[in-house]
Amino acid sequence: MITASLFNSFSMPAFLADPSAGHGEASQHLAQLAEHAAQHPNAGPKWVLLIVLLPVLGFVLNAFYAAFGNKSKIPAWTTIALLATAFIATLSMFLSYEGTPYTVQAFEWFNLHYGDKSFVANFSFYIDKLTILWMLFVTGLATLIALYASEYMSHDIGLGYCRFFAAFCLFVFSMACLVMGDNMLMLYLGWEGVGLCSYLLIGYFYKKPSAVAAAKKAFIVNRIGDLGLALGVYLTFVHFGTVQYSELFANETLHTYINAAATGDFSHIPAQAQWIALLLMVGAFGKSAQFPLYVWLPDAMEGPTPVSALIHAATMVTAGVYLIARFYPIFLVSEHALPIVAWIGTITALLAATIGMAQFDIKRIMAYSTVSQLGYMFAALGLLSTTGAAFHVLTHAFFKALLFLACGAVMHGFAGQLDLRKLSGVAWMKGWGIVGVTMLVGCMNLAGLPYITSGFYSKDMILAEAFITPGYRMIGWILVFTAILTAYYTFRVYFRVFVGPQHAEPGDEHDDHDDHAHGEEQNHDAGPHGDHHSDHFHPHAPGWAINTVLVILACASMLSISLAYIQKAEHHGWVGSMVAESSASYHSPYAAEAHYAHVEHTDMHPVAGPVGTAAPGKVFGMDAHAGMILVSGLGAIFGVLVAAYFHGPKGWQGLFIGGRTESDKCRMDAIARRAGPLPRLAENKWFVDEIYAAILVTPLRIISHIFHWIDKLLLDGLVNLFGFLPRVFAWVIRPSQSGVLQGYAVSMAGGLAVLLFVVLVIVMNSGGAA
Amino acid sequence: MNEKLAILWPEIFLFIATCLVMITGQWPSRAIRHLTPWICAIALTVAFFAAMSSPTTQGMFPAIVPYAKMLIAGVGMLILLLLSGTVDRELEREVDNGKAFSSIRSNRGEFYAFFMFSITGLMLTASADDLIWLFLALELTSLPTYIMVAISTNEKKSLEAAVKYFFLGALGAATFLYGFALIYGSAGSTNLNEIAQVYATNGISSIGMIGLLIAVIGISFKIAAVPMHFYTPDVYQGAASPVAAMLAFVPKTAGFLALMFILGTAGWASNGNHLPVELEATLWIMAALTMTVGNILALLQSSVKRILAYSSIAHSGYMLVGLIAGPGEAGGPFYQNGIAAILFYLLTYGVMTVGVFAVLASLEHRNGTEADDINDIRGLCKSQPVLGWTLVICVLSMLGFPPLLGFLGKVGLFTSGIAAGQYALIVILGINSAIAACYYLRLVATAYIDDDSKTRPTIYPSPFFMRKIAGVISAFAVLFLLVFAQPLVNGAYKASEYVPAIAGEPEHEDHHAQDEIKDNDEHASNEVAIITND
Repeated sequence: MITASLFNSFSMPAFLADPSAGHGEASQHLAQLAEHAAQHPNAGPKWVLLIVLLPVLGFVLNAFYAAFGNKSKIPAWTTIALLATAFIATLSMFLSYEGTPYTVQAFEWFNLHYGDKSFVANFSFYIDKLTILWMLFVTGLATLIALYASEYMSHDIGLGYCRFFAAFCLFVFSMACLVMGDNMLMLYLGWEGVGLCSYLLIGYFYKKPSAVAAAKKAFIVNRIGDLGLALGVYLTFVHFGTVQYSELFANETLHTYINAAATGDFSHIPAQAQWIALLLMVGAFGKSAQFPLYVWLPDAMEGPTPVSALIHAATMVTAGVYLIARFYPIFLVSEHALPIVAWIGTITALLAATIGMAQFDIKRIMAYSTVSQLGYMFAALGLLSTTGAAFHVLTHAFFKALLFLACGAVMHGFAGQLDLRKLSGVAWMKGWGIVGVTMLVGCMNLAGLPYITSGFYSKDMILAEAFITPGYRMIGWILVFTAILTAYYTFRVYFRVFVGPQHAEPGDEHDDHDDHAHGEEQNHDAGPHGDHHSDHFHPHAPGWAINTVLVILACASMLSISLAYIQKAEHHGWVGSMVAESSASYHSPYAAEAHYAHVEHTDMHPVAGPVGTAAPGKVFGMDAHAGMILVSGLGAIFGVLVAAYFHGPKGWQGLFIGGRTESDKCRMDAIARRAGPLPRLAENKWFVDEIYAAILVTPLRIISHIFHWIDKLLLDGLVNLFGFLPRVFAWVIRPSQSGVLQGYAVSMAGGLAVLLFVVLVIVMNSGGAA
Repeated sequence: MNEKLAILWPEIFLFIATCLVMITGQWPSRAIRHLTPWICAIALTVAFFAAMSSPTTQGMFPAIVPYAKMLIAGVGMLILLLLSGTVDRELEREVDNGKAFSSIRSNRGEFYAFFMFSITGLMLTASADDLIWLFLALELTSLPTYIMVAISTNEKKSLEAAVKYFFLGALGAATFLYGFALIYGSAGSTNLNEIAQVYATNGISSIGMIGLLIAVIGISFKIAAVPMHFYTPDVYQGAASPVAAMLAFVPKTAGFLALMFILGTAGWASNGNHLPVELEATLWIMAALTMTVGNILALLQSSVKRILAYSSIAHSGYMLVGLIAGPGEAGGPFYQNGIAAILFYLLTYGVMTVGVFAVLASLEHRNGTEADDINDIRGLCKSQPVLGWTLVICVLSMLGFPPLLGFLGKVGLFTSGIAAGQYALIVILGINSAIAACYYLRLVATAYIDDDSKTRPTIYPSPFFMRKIAGVISAFAVLFLLVFAQPLVNGAYKASEYVPAIAGEPEHEDHHAQDEIKDNDEHASNEVAIITND
């Protein structure tokens, strides 16, 4: 039976639907199934399951290490080896992909049939190019960051180390389910799984109250989004009768809607179908930290830095982008969903950037920058550019992971110090050169310096799209302005922390950190010079694992420029081709008009978009892309120069316009003093958390107290009353269990007689047979 | 004959192992003596795989044999793990200290042999197609358990429990044997298929109906249903926990299989997809009373074993609902099929109840007596996390807590009852589930919430690692089988296939020739085909 279900490919009539097969020709049945599975064109190779199984194995092994009290780095090496193998498997999945999506079934999961309807959701995986694109960077980055964490987490070797890597593996597994699942239920499983792992890892330092509070906040805020996702999945099933991708995207009704939407006529699309996209969108906003649900992400930085880099910058938070890209056909048929996505993304990008400008905690700045960049990705999705969104996800994954890991190295080396006023000239300290250089690479990418950075190209793709698409010019200008802010706050960090006079005050984790042996020797003379107040403190420079990972990521973020150009230029390069051959395939008709005479659609899904006046957008009378290179490139340089002027040190490190000579004083201070309440408001995150507390949390708390008393007095009273009745009854019949053998025998015989008598009476009264 | 043999391979393997076990258990060499459980394990494994390829039969439930026997061998294996170390502890300790082995005092041989006999009897029940066979198989299942109860501990209460169990068991057996006799009298045959044939053709005579009723009530001793439930708490409490776990699963499974076969002769189809009204009324009253009495009396107990005994009664009541619902329409879906629900629930119940008893068996007082009082499990999640969580998971599953296996089992019973239109009974079932939550949650809370470690009586893990393993396997099964439930559900569904006897079949003189009956079956179906064609 079990083997039979393993052989069951997803479109097989399930056993329940076919009860005539119930007679014993089991072997014959099995043979038929196997034959069918072999012939089925869409069944993929089973080794693909390795990508999912290896992280599970890692989780189990780490749990065993924890159980046996392992006190070495073996958990890390196990995790790295397994994830690297998973990455190789993903790579071979990419190389062996033959152009048609396929599914690989692990086992039968839900297979319910009722009436003429059925609910099928198997534990199987749907592989198309979007899946491959996402899995490539998920497994790749996970491997690298595990390597980084092997060193970073070394102060916790023992139970905590095992716990960290177990949750790490579980996260990769959940992410794989989310991205690779062949139905919305698998996606939901993965969605909740990554949420759980995120919760576990944010609260990794569970003795620290702020970490616990942050973990709870992340979990609860995500619940709001998850409710939207759950309802969206439900509505999809209700409306389209399936949750399986292969069936959903081939659904006749959906195609009718898409064709209707292509003519700009949404009036014939039922509201139910349009609501699906809106509900899924809420889910995406929660997971990807978009306004108004972004508040959990900055607090999530309480987790260990590798977690921030992997989960809260590179992979998990892009799940929302994946969700919308995956269900792009469904979003296309909703009149309001994509415009809302575009605007929310834009607002989030701007808002987060303004908050990021005023923060002093460098990890928090990176967190707000993540929120802001996610806003760009959502704007891209709303602007009908799935390719732009996917490309930005990819480049952002590399350079943001790099930035976080470099900040993490600083945090690790300076005993938890993250305040940019208390650190200066880190790049010039002995042993910190690599961190300085790679951080510079990361900052350049985030700022989007023209031509030489991948961040520039992916951002340019989004900005140009905004000017090409009619009606979104405003969004374009806001995003250009945000890009300038981005360049400013990014280089503010760089100019303050990494260059300038050398100075460092250790953080409050001083005692925990300094007494362990690692790196002590080489760092004794590498300490910051005289002016710091703690004579005992010696920062320890990162070891080979951290440096290797930083260098690889820096190279990757530079090399990913080429991904926009290699392969199939008409599809926006390699990323474009990956997106084009998936359900996210969509080409804005405006983009096509503007750049490409004609785009060949080899895709499985016919695509179309709203038809309007397809005049290609112009910026300063130029082609949008060329114009954007000019505008956003100059904007970025302008932002960097502003940062250099206000925060840069004297001399060329401040590009000759900076004037900072001390770590905690700069030209910005004077302006900030004069600017009134604005900087303070921004520093306090525009009091969004407090506003939420006032308008949402407090009323809910009051209501919950009221309900608590209703529950306690009224309902509990009733329940206790009903609970009391069975007990009374029990007291009455308890004597029948006297323990006396004869009594039991008599009761049995008597019971038989009474029962027969009662039945006789019933039957005679009802005039039954016999 | 060959066909019959093909079905009986698992029993044959088990029987061979039983004979071996009787010898090795008494062997003076310690190594060989300790082989005994391993021989049982091998035999159960072989039986499991032999059962997998069992052919279908010609009876009312043609496909039941593979599923039922695989279920029996699988849960039997869990119980076997649990039984380790039940007997001969003192003797083995003396032998360790240099005393000579005395085979007179050793119970190992007969203990494992009786266990294997009982499992063999259970499998024979699943293969039964004749009243006499059914009676003998049921008794082969039960008789060894009487002695197992007696020798499971050195205490007097075990002997008392065994004596009670034996006498009341004999009374129950006498009752259903009387019923069988009346059935034979009314149908003129002991072959179940022929009885079904006669009942379908001529209707059920009064004497036959009384026979069926008495047989059903008598067999309800095996499943511990009202009014035959009285022995349960006393016997469970008197027996050692591993044996109590066996009592919860083995006779219950035998009883439900036997009830299915007996009720199958009357047929669910005879009264518009219902049982004959007398049988339905009897079962209805039994089901309602059984679950209510079981759950309500469990509320007042302070002994965990007694709670489990009453919960075992209550679970029988739940499963009786599936029996009333019957197999539903031919080819109907799983959720309308009460028989499939029972077959699936037996698996569920077996796994989770073994899990809870395994926790009890893994705990003992300093003087070697087993844990029983509810105070013994207080704060278990902290003092013994593995056992504590096993207990919590298995008990929540018994309660039918959603993501666990027990939930899925209960859903099947609920939906089949609704599909059969037994709304009142479903309401009673729902209320009972709520009452059950009281004492299940009490167990969970006692284990999970540590009151005060000072008041906790000193309780230690017992030295038998296998018992812990049995518990952990059960907990894992309860946790994760839901994910892999589809094959199990399919298996239960497939096994539940019911072929009602076809009316209008002339009675045959010669009951011995199996082949002829088969021909007649074909003949009959041809006739029906012709009639429908007209």
